Amino acid sequence: MFETGIRQFRMAMAMVSGRRINPQLIQRLVADADATLREFGSPGDDVDQLLDGPFADAETRTHFQTQGIRRTTRRLAAQSPFYAARFEAAGLDPRKPDLDAITAVPPTVKADLVASAGDFLCRDAHPYLSTRTTGTTGKPAEIWLSRYEAELWPAMAALSGLLRDEINHHDCLQINLSSRATAAVQHDIEVCRLVGARSRALGLLPIDQSLDSLLDTAGSGANPPTMLGTYPSYLARLVTAARRRGLGPGDFSLRRIDVGGEVLSQALASAARDTLGVTPNDAFAMTEVLPVSGRTCNQGHLHLDLNMGLVEVLALDGSGPAGPGELGTLVVTPYFPYRDCMPVFRYDTRDVVRCLAGEPLACNLAGSPGVSRILGKAAEVLDTDTALVTPRDIVEVIEQLPSQPWPAQYRARVDHGVLDLTVPAAALAGTTAASLVGRFDERGIGAVVTVDGSGEPLRSVRADLLETTFTTTRPDGEDRPDRSLVGV
Amino acid sequence: MSLIARQSLLQLCVSLAATMVVTLGAVAYLRRVRVERPAIGVFNFRDVGTLMVFIVTLPVIYLSLPRFWLTLFLVVTFAAALGIGLRPLLRPATLWLTVGVLLGANVFVARTMLGTQTGWQLYWVLVGTVVAISAISVANLYVQGGMQLRHAAWFTLALAAYDYYFSQIVPLTPHLADRFQGYPLNAAIGMRFDVFNAAIGIGDLLAFGIFAAAGYKAYGARALRLTVPLVAVFGAALPALTPLVLGAFTRGSLNVVVPVQTWFGPPAFLLYRWMRKHYGPERTMAEFLASEDVAAEAPVPVALPPVPMPAPA
Repeated sequence: MFETGIRQFRMAMAMVSGRRINPQLIQRLVADADATLREFGSPGDDVDQLLDGPFADAETRTHFQTQGIRRTTRRLAAQSPFYAARFEAAGLDPRKPDLDAITAVPPTVKADLVASAGDFLCRDAHPYLSTRTTGTTGKPAEIWLSRYEAELWPAMAALSGLLRDEINHHDCLQINLSSRATAAVQHDIEVCRLVGARSRALGLLPIDQSLDSLLDTAGSGANPPTMLGTYPSYLARLVTAARRRGLGPGDFSLRRIDVGGEVLSQALASAARDTLGVTPNDAFAMTEVLPVSGRTCNQGHLHLDLNMGLVEVLALDGSGPAGPGELGTLVVTPYFPYRDCMPVFRYDTRDVVRCLAGEPLACNLAGSPGVSRILGKAAEVLDTDTALVTPRDIVEVIEQLPSQPWPAQYRARVDHGVLDLTVPAAALAGTTAASLVGRFDERGIGAVVTVDGSGEPLRSVRADLLETTFTTTRPDGEDRPDRSLVGV
Repeated sequence: MSLIARQSLLQLCVSLAATMVVTLGAVAYLRRVRVERPAIGVFNFRDVGTLMVFIVTLPVIYLSLPRFWLTLFLVVTFAAALGIGLRPLLRPATLWLTVGVLLGANVFVARTMLGTQTGWQLYWVLVGTVVAISAISVANLYVQGGMQLRHAAWFTLALAAYDYYFSQIVPLTPHLADRFQGYPLNAAIGMRFDVFNAAIGIGDLLAFGIFAAAGYKAYGARALRLTVPLVAVFGAALPALTPLVLGAFTRGSLNVVVPVQTWFGPPAFLLYRWMRKHYGPERTMAEFLASEDVAAEAPVPVALPPVPMPAPA
């Protein structure tokens, strides 16, 4: 207990002073938190303050953010060739900038990362592990992590997860993420190791094999997964496969599902709850801005972790901050010392959100500011005569259709100021194109619908990054070598 | 009746009363009141080691500090201990007023009223009140912080060695008793009748409170039925009556300092081993709180309701 107090004090001092945090210190705190939960079943009285920080107070928040930005600009100016040049070009004094001054620095975009990756590497960091974006929105970007980051981020996530009861030593996490998302997979496995949970890093296997793993038909039979981490599109296929097999909540042991990287519709979230027994958590995480992440509250707002970085919402036209109720793109600056090897500054994620109207928040995460859920990528927002149409607008409508066409397949463009939507014929089973137009009309979106009977995919989703295996499951349920793959 | 017999009889009465108040008080508090605990942290063996370091070093500090600084140190220490125990029971204003009155009266009586028998008795009542509440509070801080009976057993065993060494080999404890006697915030519960003065130190009382509360948390009422007699016999009766048969602990005619934990530690440790063997693993705090050993009715909350924070702009 005394030692734990000293460790917490050391962690707080490192956070306040901006020095690198010893990952082993956080790892020991994880062990302390685990011991606390084993003894008491829950963390102690002031856990909210420890987890969420002092961000409810605007003045304190601004002070904290200014300090974070200052230590980040100082380091980037000294160690990052890309940002040393960019700060100089923008006329930013890296020694004492404030939140207004940094707006002179143009946001960094993915093209910068792809074109000048080497210049983003800090001179004083030692690259250890590379991770790539999945490339669903263009050429993949490669991000390098230092060993420090690879140790620190999971330790902090494990500590936070334990104290929030998001994971504990009884859990088993099934990881259905692309194996290209090295950092995310490594992160999840390490979090499990630190809290004493089990992990099954399966990748994006053929869907029935992942479903079998959730049921534990191929495993020990005693400890099926209690947690699932995946993409909404892969979750959609899991739910569809489970329904096809006639499975229900009683067949699974899940207590938590985390999804991110794509739009999760309400229809799919409800279906997952009805079939797998758990409402998925719609989280925000993005390779380029790690370790900053976001959680969705009980009222559907997205709250980003202000401890780790500065989050701005810029108007889609780049004219400045988005106003209340307006659409904007998330611009994120991870702070030093949390981001170390290949940091980004004012990184424009191009993920679109809507700023909240400005009323006081009454949700369970009201201690930190919120925005709407991610509405899609800025490049996919369509400017029609009636409204700006986001990918979420379209996905929400399509995935509510009676045919349950999950994940939604569509192609969208604007034609004469109207949303021109192409959907597969199968999506309209049990309904009509006119009915679909009516559903958009109810949302104030004028649309025309074209039916595509080719059966070809109309858009890419992450679940398409399917990984092959050497076995297939026969109709009788027995696995055997897949001759087409092994060439026998 | 000889002087030493009468002294021992008074010591027996004082020790029995003080140990029972603290032992049963610590268990009653454990059953009914929840002390605040940090977000992360559970008592472990390293904490036992840390406690032992404090126990070894604090007497040296007490002996070396000038009187004014010693009194100030004790005021701060006791105010903190009282605050821990009374915070869940009293509103903040009432709490700090109570602590202020208790400590202030203690200092006042010690400085002005020790010329009379009644003054001495009032002094002991005031000191005893502070010491009893403090011992009950700190025992609960540790036990509700996750201290287990096995920690308590090893702690008392270590104290047994400590107590013997620092009373018989290096006479630190007798010097400490002399330093506190007749001054504010004497760290003991005692009483005076005629020329006889008997007291039992806060360290001993704390050890009894910890052992009884940890035993109750671990095994419930069946443990309490064993720990209370153990404390009464090995913590109060035998140490009080020891001077009747052993002269090693007596300085002069009536100045007696018995290493209480030397009597209590070994049987307490053996009792723990017996309970572990017969009752099985100890309950965690979560299991204890879920059991029927916790008093059904929680105290009426006295903390002010939280004020809603203004939403961020």
